[in-house]
Amino acid sequence: MGRPGFVLEVDERTPALLVNEGEAARLERFPLGTRVIYPPDSLPGIRDVGGAIRQALLHPHGEDPLPALLRPGMRLTIVFDDISLPLPQMRAPDMRQRIIEQVLEMAAAAGVDDVELLAANALHRRMTAAELKRTVGDRVFRSFFPGHLNNHDAEDRANLTEVGTTRHGEVVEINRRAAESDLIVYVNITLTGMSGGAKSVAVGLASYRSLRHHHNVHTLRHSRSFNDPPQSAMHHSYDRMAAVLAGHVRVFTVESTVNGDSYPPQVGFMNKREWEWSPADQASYLAFRKLNAMAPAKMRRQMWQRSHAPYGITGVHAGAPAEVHPHTLANVHRQQLTEIDGQSDIGVWGLPFICPYNVNSIMNPILVMSLGLGYFFNLYRNKPIVRQGGVGIFYHPMPEEFHPVHHPSYIDFYESVLSRTKDPALIEEKYEEQFATDPWYTHLYRTSHAYHGVHPLYMWYWGAHALQHLGDVIFVGAERGTASRLGFRTASTLGDALEMARETVGSSPSITYHHSPPLALADVR
Amino acid sequence: MRRPGKARAGVAESLRLLAQGRDLRGRATVPRSAQEWEEEPERGRFPTAWARTPVAGAVRYGLQRGLLKPTAWSVCAPDVRGLERLEGLRGPVVFVANHASHLDTPLILGSLPPRFARRIAVGAAADYFFDTPWRAVLTALAINGFPVERKGSGRLRSLAPQLVAERWSLLLFPEGTRSEDGWMKRVRAGSAHLCCGFGIPAVPIAVRGSYAAMPRGRGWPVPGRPRVSVRYGDPLYPEAGENAWDFNSRLSTAVARLWNEEDIGWYAALREPRDAAVARPAGPPAAGSWRRSWEAGRPLPKSRP
Amino acid sequence: MSQALEFYRSPARYLAARGIAAAGAGGRLAGAVAGSVSPLRLVDRPAERRDEPGWVRLRPLLSGICGSDLALLGGHSSPYLTALASLPFVPGHEIVAETVAAAPGLPAGSRVVVDPVLSCAARGTRPCPECRAGRRNRCGHITTGSLRAGLQTGFCADTGGGWSRSVVAHVSQLHRVPDELADRTAVLVEPLACAVHSVRRAAIAPGASVLVVGAGTVGLLTVLALREFTAAGPIYAVAKHPHQRALAEALGATETFGVRRLARALRMLTGGTLEHPDLGADFLLGGVDVAFDCTGGAGGLDTALRTVRAGGTVVMSGMPSGAVDLAPVWFRELHLIGSYASAGGPEAEAPAQAPDFAEAVRLAGRVAPLAGFVDAVYPLSRWREAIGHALSAGRLGSVKVAFDPNRS
Repeated sequence: MGRPGFVLEVDERTPALLVNEGEAARLERFPLGTRVIYPPDSLPGIRDVGGAIRQALLHPHGEDPLPALLRPGMRLTIVFDDISLPLPQMRAPDMRQRIIEQVLEMAAAAGVDDVELLAANALHRRMTAAELKRTVGDRVFRSFFPGHLNNHDAEDRANLTEVGTTRHGEVVEINRRAAESDLIVYVNITLTGMSGGAKSVAVGLASYRSLRHHHNVHTLRHSRSFNDPPQSAMHHSYDRMAAVLAGHVRVFTVESTVNGDSYPPQVGFMNKREWEWSPADQASYLAFRKLNAMAPAKMRRQMWQRSHAPYGITGVHAGAPAEVHPHTLANVHRQQLTEIDGQSDIGVWGLPFICPYNVNSIMNPILVMSLGLGYFFNLYRNKPIVRQGGVGIFYHPMPEEFHPVHHPSYIDFYESVLSRTKDPALIEEKYEEQFATDPWYTHLYRTSHAYHGVHPLYMWYWGAHALQHLGDVIFVGAERGTASRLGFRTASTLGDALEMARETVGSSPSITYHHSPPLALADVR
Repeated sequence: MRRPGKARAGVAESLRLLAQGRDLRGRATVPRSAQEWEEEPERGRFPTAWARTPVAGAVRYGLQRGLLKPTAWSVCAPDVRGLERLEGLRGPVVFVANHASHLDTPLILGSLPPRFARRIAVGAAADYFFDTPWRAVLTALAINGFPVERKGSGRLRSLAPQLVAERWSLLLFPEGTRSEDGWMKRVRAGSAHLCCGFGIPAVPIAVRGSYAAMPRGRGWPVPGRPRVSVRYGDPLYPEAGENAWDFNSRLSTAVARLWNEEDIGWYAALREPRDAAVARPAGPPAAGSWRRSWEAGRPLPKSRP
Repeated sequence: MSQALEFYRSPARYLAARGIAAAGAGGRLAGAVAGSVSPLRLVDRPAERRDEPGWVRLRPLLSGICGSDLALLGGHSSPYLTALASLPFVPGHEIVAETVAAAPGLPAGSRVVVDPVLSCAARGTRPCPECRAGRRNRCGHITTGSLRAGLQTGFCADTGGGWSRSVVAHVSQLHRVPDELADRTAVLVEPLACAVHSVRRAAIAPGASVLVVGAGTVGLLTVLALREFTAAGPIYAVAKHPHQRALAEALGATETFGVRRLARALRMLTGGTLEHPDLGADFLLGGVDVAFDCTGGAGGLDTALRTVRAGGTVVMSGMPSGAVDLAPVWFRELHLIGSYASAGGPEAEAPAQAPDFAEAVRLAGRVAPLAGFVDAVYPLSRWREAIGHALSAGRLGSVKVAFDPNRS
C-alpha cells in the first residue's frame, strides 16, 4: 500500500506494457532501457466523506465557517465544475452532489431563500438536464431545476458584468448573478494541477472577452507547464483576475481531490503495474481486448463512456480560494508526482478515450491533438520529459469523426482552417475573431449543446507549447489522412515510429514512456 | 465501420504479448528497477466453500473411507482408544490434537465415527496448503481443509467461526505447525477462544508414534507397519464465565495426560502430580537437540504396556 | 452501308439498366455492366440520306459521349423525353465532322461542329415564335415537320447521330471550325455553348457568389463561362476528384470542395446557419447567390437547392433525372431556371449579344486547359469499353470520352 511513484527501466524480464489508444488499449513491448513513469499507488480514499466535507465547511482555511457566512435575505450562488471534471466521470454519487447537499443543508438552516446553482461551463457546451441531475443529485435537481439550476451563458450580454481590469489590462467579466451575489460557494473536483484555485470562478464563469486574455498562443507557450501553476503564465493571469474578483465578491471555495482509481474493477488491470497482473487480470485483459474489438463502434463507445470511475476522495478543503488551493495541489502531488532524472530524446504517450471535452460525446481529431500535445505533454514540472527538438510518439486511432451537435465549429476548423495552416499563431491572427463571433456558433452554444465557436482554436493553442518544443510528432495506429491534416506523421507500429524518429533524434535515442492510466505528473530533474 | 487501431490483433497475438516476460502460470518476474517497490503479494483467500457442498462432501467421504483410511491403516498399525468417550456427543465440536506428522490428519479422520467424519473441517496452514492452486484444491477436497494463518499476520479473518456457526466440527492442531522434534510445543489459545465464544465442547486427542512413523521430511511412513496410537479424551465444556486462557490450560493438560497415558497408563497419568510438567510434554529439558528427537523418534512398543 | 451504334427499343434491357441504377450500383458496377444491358448495338445500316435542300451529309471525326447519353443508356433519363425522340436512333450530339458534299456557303470537306437542335429550319415548318426570336432551343415544332420526333440530332431516327460514320445535318445547324482548332477541342464546342447559354440565362449580378455543383464537362465549362461572360465574385465548385479540382481552379474557380463538406464550408464563407432536418441533407439559411446544377442527378440539384440563399437562383444545366424535394424553392422563394442547349442563331433578330455557339467556337480556341479534356478516344467497335470509361470518367481521371468513328 502507498508505494510512491517510480521510474521503471525496461529490462529483459519486463513484460509488455499497457498502452491506451482511444477506445482500446494494447500491450506494447518497449525497447530495452526505455524509462517508464509510474505514478504512486492509488491513495486510500477517505472513509467518511460526508464527515470530511462537514469538517471542511465548519473549519475552513482563511474564512469564517460557512454557517457564519449565511444569513436570511442574502443572495447565495453555488457554482460547480461542469462535466469536464473528473475524467472519466465519477461513479454516483458525484462528489459535487455530496458537497452541495451539505452546503444547502446549512443554507436552509440559516434561512437563505435566494439560492442559484450554476455550472461553471465557460465556453464549454451546456450540460443536459440529465447530466446536471447526475452531477448535483436528484434531490438538488428536483428542488432547483430549471428555474434556479442553470448553465453559465458566456454570450448572454444581459447577464454578464465587467468586474474590473487587472494591472495587465485584462478585462474581468463574469456572470452577473454570481458577481452580484453576497457569497459564491464554488464546488470543485480537482483532477490535475491545472484545475481549481483561481481558475474556478475567473474562468468558469467568464465570457470570451475575458477568456481571451489567457487562452491564447502567447500565454500557452509560456505556461511550462500549465499543470504547474507557479510556472504557468496562464495561471498568473488567473491569479490577477481572481485578485480583482476578490475585491468585489466573496468566494468560499470547496475543493476536493480524487485518487487514481479511474477505471472500474472489471478492468482492474488498467490501474496495476503489468508485472503484478494476476492470472485473473490477464484473463480480463484478454476478454476486454476481444470484446472491445468485437463490439460495434457505437456500443463500444457507450461501454467506455459508461465506465464510471470508482474514485476515492483524497481530500476536501474549504475556505478562501488562495488558502485552499495549496492543500489541494499537495493532494494532487501526493497522488501523481513522480520524479524522473533528465529528459529523453523520445517521449511516448498512450491517449485514453476521454478528454475534458468529449464526455458523452466523440473524441474528434482536434481533441486528440489537444489531449496529446496539450494535456499529456504538459503533465510535467520543471521541464518536459522530452528534450527540445525531440520526438513525441502518441497512440490514438484518430478516426475522422465529429459530434455534429457538440462540436460544429470543430468540423469547420478541421475542414477549412487546418487545410490551410497549422500554425497556432497564424490561426489566432487570421481566424480567431471569425470563429469567436460567428452568430451561428454562438446560437448553437447558447441554445443547443455546442461548444463555443472559438473552442477548437483554443484546443489548438493548447498544443502550441508542444508544437514549438517537439521536433516531430508521430501517431501510432492513426488514420493517415486525419493525422496529416493535423500535420502529424503516422506509423503502424511502435517500431516504425521509432525508425521514423531516428531522422530527428539519431540512431540510439533515449525513450521515456509516460505510463497511463493512472495519471502521473512527471517531476523532471 | 472504423475500428480502433489498424492492425487489429487477434486473441492469439494478445496471448503472445501477454506470455512474454511471464511464466506458464502467468507470473512475471519483477523488472530490476521495480524490485525496490515490490510488494508482498496480498494473499487472497482461496475459496473453499465449494468443498463443503454435499456433492464434494460425498466425494470426500468416499475418498477418505475408500482410499485414505485403507492406505493409512495398511502402512501403519493404528491403535485407537477412547472413542467411547464421544458417545452422546453432538456437533459442532472442536477436536484438538497434537501435531507431529502428516499422518495425524488421516489417522484422526479415519478413526472418527462417521457422524463426525462426515461433517468436519480441518484447519490447514494457509502458507503451505493454500500456497498453490493444485495443493489448495486437493486439501480442500480430500480433508475439507480451510486456510489458517499461522504467522499471526491476521490479514485473513479466520473462517473457523463461520464454520462453527454453520455447524461444522473442526479438527485443529493448536501448536500451529508440525513438531520439529516430536515433542509438543505451546498450545495456542485459538481453539479455546472458539469453544468459549460459541460455548461448544473441545475433544482432546493425542497422537503418539506418528513422529517415529513419518517425521517431518519423510513422504511415506517407515517400513515395518509401525504402531501409532490415537487417544480420544473426555469432551471438555467451557464453564460459565471461564475465560479462554483458563480453558486452554485445561485443554492442554488434557492433551498432555492423553500423551502420557501411552507411557504410564490412564490412571497413572491421571494421578501424575506434576501438573506443570504434564501440561506440556516438552521432552528432556535443555538437553542437546539430538536427544530430544532421539527420544521422540523411539518407535512405540508393538503392544501397549 | 455505314457502321453505327444504334439505340433501339428493348423494354427488357431498359428495365434491366434501370434496375441496376435503382439498386444504387453507381460507379464501378454500372460501368462494368452498362455495356451488357443497355439497348445499344453496333450495326451496319444504310447511310442517312436527305434530299431536301439545305441538308448535307457529314462524316463525323469525333463525337463525344455526353451525360445525357449515359442517362439514356443507364435507363434513368426522364420518361418525359420519350415523346421527344424516335426509335431507333443513333446517339451522339457533340459532333465535329467533315462535310461530304458542298452546301450553300460550305464547300465539301469543310470542318464543322453541329448545333444539334432540330428546330423549324431543319424541319421545314413555318418558324414558330421562339425560332423567330432566335431561341431555337425552345422550338415548338420539335415533333412535327419533315422529320420524325427528335429534340436533337442524336435522338431522331431520321438524321443519324454522331456515333456513326455518317450523319446528315441541316446547314442551319453547322458552324465552321477554324483550322487552328483541333478536333479534340472542337468536340467541346457544343457543351461549351450550352454552358455559355446557362450563365447567360442566370443573369448574374456583379460580385455575386456562385456555386457550381459537379465538375464534369458541363461543370468545368460552366466555371469557364462564368469567368468569361459574367462578373461573378467568388465561384465555388463541388468536385469529387483531384483532377477535377485542379481543372476547376485553373478555369477560374475560387475554391473547390467535396460534396460532404460543402454545406459547412459555404456556411463559413457566406454566413448564416446550418440546419439538420430529420430526413435528408443539411441545408443552409444563408448560402450563395446562384447555384448551377451541372450533374443532371437528383442529388446535385438537391444540393444546389439547399445551399442557395433566400431569393437566390438555381440553374439546371444538366438533363434532370430523378425526384427532388422542391420545398426550398417554395420556402426560400428561389428562382429555378432551366437551361437547355444553346440559343441565338442566324434568325435571331437584332441579337444583343453574339449567339452562344459562335461565342463557344471563339472561346474554345482561346482556353488552353480545354485541350486536355478529351483524353480517351475509342473506335465504335469498342463501345462497351467506351461507355464504361465514360461512366467512371471522374474516377479514371478523364473529363470527356469520345468516339472516333473512323478508327477501327
